[in-house]
Amino acid sequence: MLRDARLAVFPNHPAMEVLVLISSNTTLTGSYDYGEVARSILIAIAASYAALDLAGRVTAARGRARAAWLAGGAIAMGIGIWEMHFKGVLAFQLPLPVVYHWPTVLAAFAVSVLASALALYMVSRQTLGRLEVCFGSLIMGSGIAALHYLNMAAMRLSAESRFDIRIVILSVVLAIVFALVALTLAFGLREETRGTPWRKIASAIVMGAAISAMHYTGMASATFIASPIAPNLSRTVNFSPLANFGVALITLLVLGAAIVTSSAERRAKEEARRINQGLEQRVAERTRQLTAVNEELRREIAERQRVEDDLRRSEDHMRLVIDTIPALVWSKLPDGSADFLNQRFREYTGLSVEEGLGEGWLKAFHADDPASSVDAWRAAFAAGKPFELEARLRRADGKYHWFLLRGAPLRDATGKIVKWYGTSTDINDRKQAEEEFRALIDAIPQQIWSGPPDGSLDYCNAQWRAYTGLTLEELKGEGWQRMLHPEDRDRVLKAWGESVANGTPYEQEERHRGTDGQYRWFLARGVALRDSTGRIIRWYGTNTDIEDRKRAEWALQEAQAGLSHVMRVTAMGELVAAIAHEVNQPLAAIVTNANFCLRQFASATADSGKLREAISEIVNDGTRASAVISRIRALLQKRAPERVAVDINQIVQEVTVLLRRELTRNRVSLRTDLGPDLPRVSADRVQLQQVLINLVMNGIEAMRMASDRPRELIVKSARHPDGVLVQVQDSGPGIEQQLAARIFEPFFTTKAEGIGMGLSISHSIIESHGGHLSIVPVSQGALLQFTLPAISTTLHD
Amino acid sequence: MTDQASIVFVVDDDPSVRRAIKRLVESVGLHVELFGSAAEFMNSRHQDIVSCLVLDIRLPGVSGLDFQRQLATADIRIPIIFITAHGDIPMTVRAMKAGAVEFLTKPFRDQDLLDAIQVALERDRTTRQQEAEIATLRERFESLTPRERELLPLVISGLLNKQIAAEIGTTEATVKVHRSQLLRKMGADSLPDLVRMAGKLGIPHKAA
Repeated sequence: MLRDARLAVFPNHPAMEVLVLISSNTTLTGSYDYGEVARSILIAIAASYAALDLAGRVTAARGRARAAWLAGGAIAMGIGIWEMHFKGVLAFQLPLPVVYHWPTVLAAFAVSVLASALALYMVSRQTLGRLEVCFGSLIMGSGIAALHYLNMAAMRLSAESRFDIRIVILSVVLAIVFALVALTLAFGLREETRGTPWRKIASAIVMGAAISAMHYTGMASATFIASPIAPNLSRTVNFSPLANFGVALITLLVLGAAIVTSSAERRAKEEARRINQGLEQRVAERTRQLTAVNEELRREIAERQRVEDDLRRSEDHMRLVIDTIPALVWSKLPDGSADFLNQRFREYTGLSVEEGLGEGWLKAFHADDPASSVDAWRAAFAAGKPFELEARLRRADGKYHWFLLRGAPLRDATGKIVKWYGTSTDINDRKQAEEEFRALIDAIPQQIWSGPPDGSLDYCNAQWRAYTGLTLEELKGEGWQRMLHPEDRDRVLKAWGESVANGTPYEQEERHRGTDGQYRWFLARGVALRDSTGRIIRWYGTNTDIEDRKRAEWALQEAQAGLSHVMRVTAMGELVAAIAHEVNQPLAAIVTNANFCLRQFASATADSGKLREAISEIVNDGTRASAVISRIRALLQKRAPERVAVDINQIVQEVTVLLRRELTRNRVSLRTDLGPDLPRVSADRVQLQQVLINLVMNGIEAMRMASDRPRELIVKSARHPDGVLVQVQDSGPGIEQQLAARIFEPFFTTKAEGIGMGLSISHSIIESHGGHLSIVPVSQGALLQFTLPAISTTLHD
Repeated sequence: MTDQASIVFVVDDDPSVRRAIKRLVESVGLHVELFGSAAEFMNSRHQDIVSCLVLDIRLPGVSGLDFQRQLATADIRIPIIFITAHGDIPMTVRAMKAGAVEFLTKPFRDQDLLDAIQVALERDRTTRQQEAEIATLRERFESLTPRERELLPLVISGLLNKQIAAEIGTTEATVKVHRSQLLRKMGADSLPDLVRMAGKLGIPHKAA
């Protein structure tokens, strides 16, 4: 390939003149001088360390110093970075002589310095935002990439350089990443002024390695192709190894100087700042002490001033106080004539000093109540003791207000009264409230009274006075007892005496005589008000008119008694068939026997024995029929209940006889289980029969509803702790639990035709006998039972 | 008048009434047996003679009306006279419908009871005679040969021997022999007599 062969001649560099024979279009293989590579890395690390150190320095500095540090730092760092790259380029050796276009080299150097300046500026700011660091690293990375490729572009050789665009991009990206890492590291380390620099050194090594990596990646992107065209050698320079070494040395020196200066400066500043701080603290401490002392002095002065003022004002003040307190203040001579009236007194009464002094102030008293004012007033003076009285005093406009007058004598050493001092306080509002309260007490439709702990009476309201027609004076003390009904008197006084003695609440129903001489029933109640020690202070009480309620109660009782009778008659109505049966049975026997007798008399062969037999049976049956009738009459009679000693078993038997037909008609089998030797009970026979009839009829009716089981009714009597117990149990559907509580209520019924009075009346009958009627839960049917006290127990009561 | 072959049963829970009735009924020469309840009556043995029952409606345990029904169910056909201390119309109607002879309300007239008892005994006597007659006829009917039993409905329908022979596929002479045998065995004097007997036995006419 001689045709393309060229002699690469470098006329400007005779020293480097070499003849190189190279065929055209041959790829030139470069090799690295590893010593140079190492040196370039070393420089990169040194530059990185300087950059980290300077970052802190620039951060700490202010104003012009900051600008100077920024400029100096940027130059030092710029040199470092540039030198590293340049050394990296020099380390790459081609089989051709390479010279460098120095303006381009300078431009690269400028770019390096600018990028460094930017980096230092960025990391020395107060904050480093995410966007800022990205932007900064983009600019800085681009700058370093530019520096690198400018350095490459400064190469002059007889070859064409080609770049693999992918590696170029990779190198640019690496430059940006490196810049990002460098900025972040520098920002984080800039404040680290004390302690070991190991972190900083480690960071510098990482950064240096990154810079170098970027550089050598950039170098790898270039391929040099031998070219026949001679390179433009104008303004080029050739680097001798010595020059190279010189530049590196200078660079390291510059960097070293920058680091040393930076550290020394920073340390000095740090020291100065500490000393300064200490000084400032001491000054502040002294200032505080001085201020405190000053303050204390000022307070003392003010206090002294105030005491002096107080003393000076004391007399004025006393006068002011006496004149302004909301009371009428006066002093009087022992004879009662006034010698001082305060300003309020004069203002209120409208009397001048001259008018009021002496006896003149007496004009202010209300003309209508001499008893409670002037006379009392004089009496109090005469007594010579501290006094308190209420009186009405005229105001300047002619209106009267209630006042509480208080006075106390001043005595000399011998005990003679020298002077009277006193106040009059306006209690008009209190008086009014009292009046209103009294009006309220009088308006309440209740008789209200109160009295001292001894049980006497000292107050009663208008309602009571109006009812009895007696005055308070008449009712006071023991006076109230005269309105008691003679029949109640002993009971009431005994009960009241007990309450007063024991302090227990009083409650009695008693009759009081009204103005018309008629007595009405009252519910009298009294309670004791006690102090904190439990001692009775007062008795308070009310009398409530319960006449109407009483009347209603009696009416109700009568109505119930009447209803009870109606129920009995109704029950008898239902039982009329049974009654007829009971009567007709002996009648049938009587008639039949009588007919037999007639027939016997008619026949010739009358058998006197048989006749006697028949006639005696007629007598028996007649008696029997009569007994049945009187029993029924007793049951239907409306009469006051009559308590006699009864045998409960006998009553059960009587009732079962009466109800036998009903039982048969409803196909109910009755079982009686009567306990032997039961104590007698004090009861009304008819009422007990009524209760039993009711219970048995209820049982029969309950079982009438159920056809699926045997109808059995059990009536049982037994001894009971209270006396006797009677149980009536049916085999009907039973009573639902929730209804059990209500079955004794009047007008409650589960029957279609029932009026719901039977059990209610039975209940009240049993209760009136001192017993208890209840329902007992059982698994099948319903069990109702009642107890009645035995006679012996009632006698003990 | 004493009728040894009849008896009056009285069921009433009231001993006084029971005794009075016994006294009265015995005074007319009738035998009387007394019981306090239906169960007591049922549990005792009775002679199979003409009898009637004086029954109280209201009884302990089973009531008189229910007892009447029980007797009917058990095919014991004894005439019943009800007596009650308190009766109402529905009760009376029920008792009479069920075949009671009389329904008397206590206290009753003595003659009413005695009359009722006579009627009841008479009714029982008649019933017993009829039952005896039917029993005899049934016995005779049982003695018939199958052929004669086959012939009976045809004969009482008034068919001629020739017609009967055609009906059962035999000769007129044979029919004639059977027919005379039938009359003899049944103890009938004539054809109308046989027809009456067949009616009592409940044998239907055979339509030609």
